[in-house]
Amino acid sequence: MKKMTLNFFLNDEPVSLEIDENARLLDVIRDVAGLTGTKEGCGVGECGACTVVLEGESVDSCIVLAASVEGKHVMTVEGLSKSGQLDPIQQAVLDHHALQCGFCTPGFLMSAKALLDKNSNPTRDEIKMAIAGNLCRCTGYQQLVEAFEDAAKQYQAR
Amino acid sequence: MQKLSYLKPESLQQALEYLNQYNAKVKPYAGGTDLMVQLREGSSRLKDVEYLMDLQDIAELRGIEVKDDCISIGAMTSHTQVNESEVLRRYVPFLSVASSTVGSTQIRNKGTVGGNICNASPAADTLSPFVSLNARLTVVSVDGAREVMVKDAMEKAGKLKLAANEMVTRIVIDRLDGYETAFIKLGRRKALAISRMNAAVAVKLEGGVIADVRIAPGCVFATPDRVECAEALVKGKAPSAALFEEAGKAVSEEMIKRTGIRWSTEYKKPVVEALVQRALCRACGLPED
Repeated sequence: MKKMTLNFFLNDEPVSLEIDENARLLDVIRDVAGLTGTKEGCGVGECGACTVVLEGESVDSCIVLAASVEGKHVMTVEGLSKSGQLDPIQQAVLDHHALQCGFCTPGFLMSAKALLDKNSNPTRDEIKMAIAGNLCRCTGYQQLVEAFEDAAKQYQAR
Repeated sequence: MQKLSYLKPESLQQALEYLNQYNAKVKPYAGGTDLMVQLREGSSRLKDVEYLMDLQDIAELRGIEVKDDCISIGAMTSHTQVNESEVLRRYVPFLSVASSTVGSTQIRNKGTVGGNICNASPAADTLSPFVSLNARLTVVSVDGAREVMVKDAMEKAGKLKLAANEMVTRIVIDRLDGYETAFIKLGRRKALAISRMNAAVAVKLEGGVIADVRIAPGCVFATPDRVECAEALVKGKAPSAALFEEAGKAVSEEMIKRTGIRWSTEYKKPVVEALVQRALCRACGLPED
């Protein structure tokens, strides 16, 4: 299979990776870049476990062609904390006990990140819309919505 | 997964040359939200495909242009961009509403209106507003450009009537100044569900009567269409729930006439009637029950 060199920004770091031309962004993040925080759930864009932020927008990395992100900025869950300090979204999820098994959590965090970076004062409905593409099998939605409302206050104060 | 090579044309001309050279071996990649799933499934639709052609750098496929009597939407415009566009919200709000019901935030950020049409699913959420807006596709190849009405564009589910060297660059719609519009969708659940059925309507009221109307039910015909007999029924009359109930019945009769009685008809008939009636009531500001 043909290989290509892909240059993009992964969590603000420029990276240059050898990838298969038809690789999914999810596989490049996990298997080539070695960042396994991003999870594969359904593989067809239904569950949101693989959500990353691409140029400020949440996307399902399982249905993004990796080659198409040349030159772009991709943020994964590993890019949320800065110098050992959790992002307010992560801290709020901990504070609200908003996870059980945790498999869906990275996806939810990235959907919330894309939302709060655009709109730090979302309504409850806007939060629900932002995470409508993320499934949690442990049914922790209520705590997640409350956590993101809390995190929004921290984002406003920044 | 199928082994494919990646092409990224920098201009429309280069894209058209790739299409002309490779024909059915090249598949345009727009948002990828359906294509990547079909690849993963090893879909037979892609069995001859050897190249994915990424359309993101082609300027002609971008942007929303408002003209005197129409609006031109670039095929690569995402559902999020359609939903957030001020001009589309002003002139054709039901298209923005339909775009906001596609998939999820992640899907709307990547999925495009051109892809939604070219994927040729009869259940695509934006088809009924597009059909009621007399949408036409600008179809281009190295040999030139032509226009194809969206309602006439589908050969069968999953396939448009395009030559192998052609691609869609823009979708041109009527500008409906002074119309009220509504889109109502029934899905299996609120998020991440394609339409089971939907209804898109546009109504122009003048002096208390319906001067013009467009009625397009979604997912009920083999290929999308307006229902002219239902439109004729309400035109020139004052809006009322009773009149719109009749319009709903005219739509369901047309559905049965075109597709026959099926196992699902018993369910679909009352649902499409209710969707059409409610959409017309919503557009005219009447109570919906």
